[in-house]
Amino acid sequence: MINEDRRAHTKELFLQLRATGDPAVRDELAQLHLPLVEYLAKRFKDRGEPLDDLIQVGSVGLLKAIDRFDLEREVEFSTYATPTIVGELKRYFRDKGWAIRVPRRLQELSLRLNKLVAQLTQDLGRAPTVPELAKAAGVSEDEVLEALESGQAYSTTSLDAPSGDDEDAPMRGDRIGEEDMRLDNLEYFASLAPLIEQLPERERTILYLRFFKGMTQSKIADQIGISQMHVSRLLTRILEFLREGMEGTTDR
Amino acid sequence: MPFDLVTVTVPATANHLAVLRTAVGGFAARDQFTLDQVDDLRMAVEEAAVQLLRHSRGERITMDVETTGEGVEVRLTGNVADDDPVIDESSFSWTILRALADDIRIESRDGQAVIVLAKHRLDVDGAN
Repeated sequence: MINEDRRAHTKELFLQLRATGDPAVRDELAQLHLPLVEYLAKRFKDRGEPLDDLIQVGSVGLLKAIDRFDLEREVEFSTYATPTIVGELKRYFRDKGWAIRVPRRLQELSLRLNKLVAQLTQDLGRAPTVPELAKAAGVSEDEVLEALESGQAYSTTSLDAPSGDDEDAPMRGDRIGEEDMRLDNLEYFASLAPLIEQLPERERTILYLRFFKGMTQSKIADQIGISQMHVSRLLTRILEFLREGMEGTTDR
Repeated sequence: MPFDLVTVTVPATANHLAVLRTAVGGFAARDQFTLDQVDDLRMAVEEAAVQLLRHSRGERITMDVETTGEGVEVRLTGNVADDDPVIDESSFSWTILRALADDIRIESRDGQAVIVLAKHRLDVDGAN
């Protein structure tokens, strides 16, 4: 099916889906865009995972995109869906990595450090430096760096991720008015809006607080009720997601 | 205080950007920056490197990380087309970089673009 036909058919199906909520229509949409999933999955084929598994993982992303897509947006569905699918694939590799490769000792140290960071941030009125953290934990600076670096590489949704936070807990703290967020970013970054809509509320809040309110990660962590390390990981992922969506991926 | 300069050169591909991120993070973390600042710098390097990568015509990207009186300066260099601004100042990318780095500028000469980022240490009283 050539692109023109696929786009028109996609639009029709979404209209149908919206009207009837029929799961068969949802499936048809998924089938229709399977080639996109295959195309994106192939980018990851040299990482030691069977392509079939990758296509499975990518399809989960596709379904998420189908469920969240809003026809009112002036954007092609395949453009919209790409970062969600790629995000799912990247997360898959991160999740696989954590439990196998990071020594227990580092996982435990990471958890302990998170608690200390929160404490020190309170005491100092700012995030601690590595030497300060090492001193408080009674370990060497190198060990702290190791733990921090290992924490950075992996997904927050992995069951073994060392943040100590309840990853799925609803957000505490003030909720940012939808109005505020839209006004600030839509005016200048129209192409960003449909991507931001795809982000969960917590991620949208973090993006807004960091880049439009200029809050430090530690302050954001305190406001939302998660660790600074967790905010850091989420921010990295959010930026990657936005990059994917704005200009395709950076893979060459 | 002795002045440090670390230079890392990587192939101009997305997969190698993680090396730059880790290197600058390790450097900054040992240099009295707070965890927030270290993360800001890592993200800034990633963002700047991605933009450079998009415009790069060369095989390699070089990162210089240097201790300065105020903190640290990071220079990312790649080969680009003449007159290529690399990052549009009205773009979201620029907004991100301005929020993450204390200073940012782009220099170009002889077919090379250099993105210069600076991050300043907090002084003893924590003011910044």
